[in-house]
Amino acid sequence: MSTCAEVREGLPAYVDGALDAEAERDAAEHLAACPACAAEAAALRAILARAAALPAPEPPPAFWREFEASVRARVTTRPAPRPSRWARVVEWTAGLPRLRPAPVLVAASVLGLLLAIGLIRSNRPMQPGPPAEVVTASQDLAIGQDLDLFQQLDLLEEEELLERLDVLRSLDGARPRVT
Amino acid sequence: MHQPDIEAVQRVLAGDTEAFGVLVQQYQQEIYRLAYRMTRNAEDAKDLSQEAFVQAYRALRSFRGQARFSTWLYRIAMNLCLNHLKAAAREDPAEVNGDLPGPRTDALDVLLTDERDRAVAAAVQTLPPQQKATLLLRVQQGLGHREIAEILDCSEGTAKANYFHAVRALQRKLRAFGEGAPGHEHVR
Repeated sequence: MSTCAEVREGLPAYVDGALDAEAERDAAEHLAACPACAAEAAALRAILARAAALPAPEPPPAFWREFEASVRARVTTRPAPRPSRWARVVEWTAGLPRLRPAPVLVAASVLGLLLAIGLIRSNRPMQPGPPAEVVTASQDLAIGQDLDLFQQLDLLEEEELLERLDVLRSLDGARPRVT
Repeated sequence: MHQPDIEAVQRVLAGDTEAFGVLVQQYQQEIYRLAYRMTRNAEDAKDLSQEAFVQAYRALRSFRGQARFSTWLYRIAMNLCLNHLKAAAREDPAEVNGDLPGPRTDALDVLLTDERDRAVAAAVQTLPPQQKATLLLRVQQGLGHREIAEILDCSEGTAKANYFHAVRALQRKLRAFGEGAPGHEHVR
């Protein structure tokens, strides 16, 4: 059984009904056997009952009419508050026609699946062509094949020779020729 | 939430400012009494409770209906009361010194013919503001600890602790007034 000090310490919680079942049982057993602590509990209940019953002065009806009129006068000089954006979104969604859960779930799953496939495919390297750095190397290689032309710069000035630079032409959109 | 409250809030938010009068009529007495019990001053109670409604109107767009409208309104009113008491304590520290006040007659004293009721009212008045708020919300408004925690913006554990501190303080203060326990025999 708990001691008087322990029980008295816990009396506010006991009277409030806030003790757990075991502590409440202990306190009840103690109070049944201890008149002093039982009197303390009764006194505490009396204090709380008096505190609960404390009245407040009741103003006359005219007071309340003036009270309301005063509040109205202060609030009607301001525009009515508008609902917050969030509240409007919630209200708007509440107004939507109710969708049946199963078809909505299926549609959402299909949409999610399609998005996932799209993402995976967009991350995959393009299969037909080589990676970007390989293309660059290939271009260098192709240009290098005509290096002898670049070394004869005076020949390059001749238009027909430039026409032969099919590698340079290929850089204008066509795939470089790699041999 | 109380259905007429929801409807009135929605009407105000839709532009019908007159609908706010429904909410004022519904709660003006509760809020006024709460403010009176916190301040024990009729004029302050009137000003604070009116200000609570005006602030509620201004902030109505932020009310999301997750709590009851009354809880939300209590929170505004209680904040105003606590701030008022803090300001009063700064101006006159003797007002909140933890002692029973000296002889003073106000509207409540006139109503209280029983000396023990007067003593209880006086003891409540000397509690620290947070404890007094918790005690009044619990015993006079009959609110649960969770709702009190929402109103006072604290955890439920803090609300409970404040309440139990307040009750023990009342016990201590009222022993001198004969509301405490009689003699004590130890039981083990």
